[in-house]
Amino acid sequence: MALVDNVRNSPNSAALEVWLQKVPYAAFLGIKAELNKGNILFILPENKKFIGNPSLPALHGGVIGAFMEQAAALHLIANMDKPALPKIINFSLDYLRPARLRDTYAKCRLSRQGRFISNITITAWQEHVDQPNAIARAHFLTPDYK
Amino acid sequence: MPVLSNSQKYNLVKIMNDHIPHATLLGIQVERIDGEELTLKLPYQTALVGDPDAGTLHGGVLTVLLDQTLGMATVCCDTTEPSVTPTLDLRVDHLSVAPPGMDVFASARVYKATRKILFVEGYAYCESKENPIARATGSWVRVADVDLSWLVPNDQDAV
Repeated sequence: MALVDNVRNSPNSAALEVWLQKVPYAAFLGIKAELNKGNILFILPENKKFIGNPSLPALHGGVIGAFMEQAAALHLIANMDKPALPKIINFSLDYLRPARLRDTYAKCRLSRQGRFISNITITAWQEHVDQPNAIARAHFLTPDYK
Repeated sequence: MPVLSNSQKYNLVKIMNDHIPHATLLGIQVERIDGEELTLKLPYQTALVGDPDAGTLHGGVLTVLLDQTLGMATVCCDTTEPSVTPTLDLRVDHLSVAPPGMDVFASARVYKATRKILFVEGYAYCESKENPIARATGSWVRVADVDLSWLVPNDQDAV
């Protein structure tokens, strides 16, 4: 049974939290994950330490990218039969709007899950999901978990 | 347009870098300027690890470092005025992983500047630039000129 099936039955998303705490940089960023209608909603809580442009102020674009990459990795883990850390191959990020000092959200779509390689698209937004701040695509190498 | 000297660029880039809260939080520092090439350094920290078993840095940390290095390399370009340049897009290829415990360097330069767009490429590496752990390309948009009137002239290595 995939982790996502386990966490669907877990009202506190404890399994996702365990993974987020396992990864030091995810814990450092304070990334949260919630289950929302069968999909995972990732949250990067507002924090002044993420500011990249103090005059706007706007969040550092790199942090938004890092948050989206971590969201993609955990989204993939949640869909594995035997959850394991995937390895990032490449990451392609389009910035659409500056991210303000407030909570940032991300959701992922597993476009293709192959035996070794997975393709994930990620959308990050702050105010409305249909007005994304950034969109990204990631390829991951996954351990052969079959 | 006068070409900025290495030390003028260093002063400009250092002020920019040190004003970015997230850069100072991660300990990102200006390592050197060599003509149009900027090199930044990210000291290893266990808080930045992505794979706790291997102790290797998170891919996202390299995204932060490369976004910042490529973005700030835009002011080191000699064929265009330094400008306020938000990132349009960024692609990172993860060629290898940073060995645990090692500081990471990133070097970048503008390879084409048009009136509105700066095309930049760069690499992240630990021991040698010839053995990169990541390659990045991206484009930055010129939105406004930077006021350089405060920048103290330095004739020592002026071109």
